[in-house]
Amino acid sequence: MINTTFYLRRLHSLCGLVLLGGVLIEHLLTNATALGGPEVFNAGLEAMEQIPKPIFLAIEVCLYAVPILFHAIYGVYIALQAKNNQGNYGYNKNWKFTLQRWTAWYLVAFLIWHVGYLRIFLKGINGVPISYELVLSVVSNPIVWVLYVVGMFAAIFHFCNGITTFCMTWGIAKGPRSQSVVDKMAMGLCAAMCLVTLAFMGSYLA
Amino acid sequence: MAEQKKTVKFIIERQDSPTSKPYTQEFEIPYRPALNVVASLMEIQKNPVTTSGERVAPVTWECNCLEKVCGACMMVINGRARQACCALIDELEQPIRLQPARTFPVIRDLLIDRSVMFESLKRVQAWVEIDGTWEVKDAPIQNPYTATTAYEISHCMTCGCCLEACPNVGPQSDFIGASPTVQAYLFNLHPLGKFDKEKRLNALMGKGGITSCGNSQNCVEVCPKNIKLTTYLAQLNRDVNKQALKNMFNK
Repeated sequence: MINTTFYLRRLHSLCGLVLLGGVLIEHLLTNATALGGPEVFNAGLEAMEQIPKPIFLAIEVCLYAVPILFHAIYGVYIALQAKNNQGNYGYNKNWKFTLQRWTAWYLVAFLIWHVGYLRIFLKGINGVPISYELVLSVVSNPIVWVLYVVGMFAAIFHFCNGITTFCMTWGIAKGPRSQSVVDKMAMGLCAAMCLVTLAFMGSYLA
Repeated sequence: MAEQKKTVKFIIERQDSPTSKPYTQEFEIPYRPALNVVASLMEIQKNPVTTSGERVAPVTWECNCLEKVCGACMMVINGRARQACCALIDELEQPIRLQPARTFPVIRDLLIDRSVMFESLKRVQAWVEIDGTWEVKDAPIQNPYTATTAYEISHCMTCGCCLEACPNVGPQSDFIGASPTVQAYLFNLHPLGKFDKEKRLNALMGKGGITSCGNSQNCVEVCPKNIKLTTYLAQLNRDVNKQALKNMFNK
């Protein structure tokens, strides 16, 4: 028996938490340096540019692009198998189940725009280096700023709620008490990461 | 001034055949203390006249034990899956909306076809093999603590509340649902049943098995027998992961 479904599902879970969680934390940390001002932010980006191009591209493809594409495409397939019913069954966990899917849909659209415009169109095709000034020009439009903050919040919630469901899916947190502790810790992390996001995104408004 | 007689109002979703279109009808019956949904349906059956005065075919539903043991009268009452026999009118908001559990095929009115759960139980081998080449003497000893857990899970009456409430069970998905999945664990706990543990775990790893669970945890909220379904689902997740490692490295 091959059980493809089993391995795909577990890979989806593992790839989301470890690889995409890593991508999210990397983005959060890099962008948080904007709080130190344009010089600090640009210095960080320049340091990243020191990585030889082929290695940098390999990292982007293997640790960013492929996991995101797999997680998104298989995730859409999973989301289509659910009929959200928080209207009749408005329990806390069920709301999170629905939010996990709503944030997923937003993220699919948001990431196509975010990666497509910044990485592929501006940096890839037009050769514009990513810098504080570039980010500032992008988010100076208030609508774009809001869409970006919502995108970050969606990614953070999806990741943090993913920690809780990961612990259930892998049989790590079994009983209701341990599942509730994991859930509270994950939501605490969610709040903290959202605050960091608001802080650095707010700094562009000043 | 004459005292107004207390009544109970129902809005019932009806359907004449498995393929025909559903429609709703309203009924009003006299109130009496300790009335429940099954007793109300019996009242409607005696005199099937809608609030608009039209005489209609009596409402079809299923019930048996009338004490929350058989699971037959599961239906959607005010939006939630539960047993009609223990749904007290005093505790329900009126008008009371009754609908069939549409996760399952509807046969007529509130009557549904739950045979899909029986198929799932067969799929996960929810039984103990007793016929074999070995001699069956005394019953094997069971750890009393394990027996307590097994007793709890054995309360499952295949009513289907957990399937109806689960966002991942339905025509859009192939998930077998919490009830049959957790039954696999019950038989894995049995001193003789555990010989087939690998078979059951491999069945759960297949399409529509435990991996289709999306952790909405509605099952444990609606279970009328208070079975700790999510706890056993997490335990089974642990077990199938170990089984997957065995499948990968032991061959």
